[in-house]
Amino acid sequence: MNEAGEASDATVPAANAPANTPVVSIRGLCKQFGVVRAVEALDLDVMPGELLALLGPSGCGKTTTLRLLAGFEHPDAGTIRLGGEVVSGAETFVAPERRNMGVVFQDFALFPHLTVAQNLGYGVRDRALRAKRVAEMLDLIRLNDAKDRRPFELSGGQQQRVALGRALAPDPALVLLDEPFSNLDAALRMRMRADVRDILKAAGATAVLVTHDQEEALTLADRVAVMNEGRLVQVDVPAELYAHPLDPFVATFVGDADLLPGVSNGTDVETVIGRLRAPGAPQGQVDVVVRPEQVKVWLDGNGIGVVLGIEYFGHDQLVEIGLPDGSRARSRLGSARDLVAGDRVSLAVTGDALAFPAPQRSSESSLTST
Amino acid sequence: MATIEILRTNSDPPTPKRKWAKPSRAPRGLEIIGIVIAAMFAAPLVYLIARNFAAPNELLSAVTSSQVGAPLVRTLLLASSVMVACALLGTAMAWLTTRTDIYGRRALAVVAALPLVLPSFVAALAFVGTFSSGGLLEETFGIDTGVRVQGFWAAFTVLTLISYPYVYLPVAARLIGLPRSLEESASSLGRHPLAVFRTVVFPQITGAILAGSMLVFLYVVSEFGAVSLLQYDTLTRRIYASRLLDPNAAMAMSLVLAVVAITVVVVERIATKRRHVIESPGTQGAPKRVLLGHWRIASTCFGWGLVGLALFVPVAVVTHWAWLGLTGTRNVLGRGMDIGRLVQPTINTALLGVGAAVVAIIVVLPVAYLTARYRSRVGGFANALVVGGFALPGLVIALALVGASLRIPFLDHLYQTFPLLIFAYVVHFGAQAMRSAQVSVEAVPRHLRDAARSLGAGRVRRFRTVELPLMAPALAAGCGLVLLSVMKELPATLLLAPIGVDTLAIRIWSASSEGFYAQAGLASVMLVALAAALTWLLTIRHMERL
Repeated sequence: MNEAGEASDATVPAANAPANTPVVSIRGLCKQFGVVRAVEALDLDVMPGELLALLGPSGCGKTTTLRLLAGFEHPDAGTIRLGGEVVSGAETFVAPERRNMGVVFQDFALFPHLTVAQNLGYGVRDRALRAKRVAEMLDLIRLNDAKDRRPFELSGGQQQRVALGRALAPDPALVLLDEPFSNLDAALRMRMRADVRDILKAAGATAVLVTHDQEEALTLADRVAVMNEGRLVQVDVPAELYAHPLDPFVATFVGDADLLPGVSNGTDVETVIGRLRAPGAPQGQVDVVVRPEQVKVWLDGNGIGVVLGIEYFGHDQLVEIGLPDGSRARSRLGSARDLVAGDRVSLAVTGDALAFPAPQRSSESSLTST
Repeated sequence: MATIEILRTNSDPPTPKRKWAKPSRAPRGLEIIGIVIAAMFAAPLVYLIARNFAAPNELLSAVTSSQVGAPLVRTLLLASSVMVACALLGTAMAWLTTRTDIYGRRALAVVAALPLVLPSFVAALAFVGTFSSGGLLEETFGIDTGVRVQGFWAAFTVLTLISYPYVYLPVAARLIGLPRSLEESASSLGRHPLAVFRTVVFPQITGAILAGSMLVFLYVVSEFGAVSLLQYDTLTRRIYASRLLDPNAAMAMSLVLAVVAITVVVVERIATKRRHVIESPGTQGAPKRVLLGHWRIASTCFGWGLVGLALFVPVAVVTHWAWLGLTGTRNVLGRGMDIGRLVQPTINTALLGVGAAVVAIIVVLPVAYLTARYRSRVGGFANALVVGGFALPGLVIALALVGASLRIPFLDHLYQTFPLLIFAYVVHFGAQAMRSAQVSVEAVPRHLRDAARSLGAGRVRRFRTVELPLMAPALAAGCGLVLLSVMKELPATLLLAPIGVDTLAIRIWSASSEGFYAQAGLASVMLVALAAALTWLLTIRHMERL
């Protein structure tokens, strides 16, 4: 939150709002497709100048939220305020073309029959202003040499930048980005992330980015809003999200984590790999979140774990270990290849673990855990 | 070339990737327009049914009489045999031009489609004048063929030669679109080229073969000009002959013809309903070519021989006649040859063609929107009726419209007017514009329209600056297809053209029935040249494949 506030001080957003009032304010937003509840009772504020990521697995409702924001969909209930004014509500619905929001689409959606410059200028209605804005955008996205080319003559990264420039050219109150990197290959994706963040920050834009890639959300965004099954689960800055997930879903979705069943006394949890420190844990049956970074593993002929498989990345490796009760844990180790599948190992967890109340276990799993 | 896709129009395209890709609720106004258009396309058939069932006894007696039976059998015999021949020739030609090392492969791939430009009656005329006893062949080379070019075999030959492209085009397009990895993996699994074709390629092109064959069948069933010139007494010829003397019988026979045509469409639709189609993911290199070896010369002779007979012979013959007539060396052939007399018919042909094409694309566009952009029942229904209009023979549509305009009050002043003639063309050929119209609507993906909206463009500006420029190529192609068909059309033009208005088709028809080959030849040259020029302008220029 603090980081977002600082960012907004540096740049005055287009919405002309004071830094402490949100650019976008969503309350009780609902949208249903047939029997599927795509978005349920969503509340969210986006502060001026911040880059907020909507993160969630596919089908969690994040893209629907974005389309509701843009005005491409009508909400079933709830209100969306843009710069204090209602744009979607019980009585009002402002058409997308009157919302002053820039959208960057997954497939970029550049107009194939227009040149780069024409694409950039499309949203600037004021003829006098158009040439100036196009020139500014060409500078911003560093595509001056390509201004007379057509989209199909550009590389994926260039198309991405044009799409971003086109969205920014009319000086929108809010920029929406829908999975903007999913059409790029892995190497380009890394570079474009930094590029896009730099361009957005240089333009002083307020932006909402939709992604299913937690790494993307954590590296790019000032704040991350995690969604699951149409609901907003947690909104926080990346480091907090990783360190203090509010529930097992966020814990396992943001960063790698395994859940181990255990019994808690409030400060410690008894699990199959021993007693783990978990201050503030609820009493009784719990699930403990263990991140691979916390798990240490060593060869031990009498150990309780068995190496099931190893994913070797070069700079490190992820070792999957089967435990006596059928559950599994992963450990991130250095690059030394001293373990092979089938080895017997012992495990230890460093640092504190997080514990959440266990959901009602089926009789089957309780049998295996005894 | 989308001609072939006519009956493959998209009432239910593949499942949308995302739930908002295709909203189910179409705007109410658009659906109402769709219903009006559907009613328009249904009107001739509805009139035909109503008219016949108003006098059920006459219908019954006409249908059971031998007057209908024998011509119906001839129609079905001709249509099925031409269909089978076209399926074989068209598939062979497509395979040769896409998968082998036949000589002149690229050129052949283009010219093999061109017999479509020839009107059937021009081809028939050329064959009669060339191969008949005393014809051009005897005149020029002194070869007396000793045959009269008429009857079943003549009709079979002429119609097969000019309609095999209906199979060739979709099959060739399909063969080009097949992922090459399919055939490569089959070969790598140790299959002989022939076995690869039989086991892997053939199952993928049967849909295209079936669709093309059905078009051939429908075409032959409705064919009027060639069978009349070649004196093969099919149902259409009988209907035309009896339309004035015994209108009730003509109406009854028309209904029979309509039932045959619609049955074929329905059967084909059911047969190809659930066919899994593999599309190649975008551009790819040339597919593996079969080296013909010893067969290379023979295959080349076959391919070029077929095109020679179907395209070059008729064109050469009509050009020859036209030349004789113009230079006046053989005045026996034509009296008072005057190219000036063809100016007005040429203008009429072009205007009617362009007019019908533009009206057709405008009329089917709302249905294209309903089917391509929404999941609308009204759209599917209207689409089916538009396709039905194509299945109905032109003669049947024209006869129904003549009957309606003569018998229904307030419609009588429409008889033999341009609006009614254009209406007939639109009902008959609207389906040819439909696929193009759908392609044009699909050419503007939702994201592009959304992008334009988010950039502040309202409905009018979006249409003008984004949608129309992207739709234009497909719309022009659709116009081209309708234009070509209208220019070649004969029976509806004969029945519905205003008195004193001649088109090139009418000129060719009347000149040839009186034996004025030079006049017919000159008009044919004009027609083929005009058709080729206008079609090239609108369609072939934009053709990406082949």
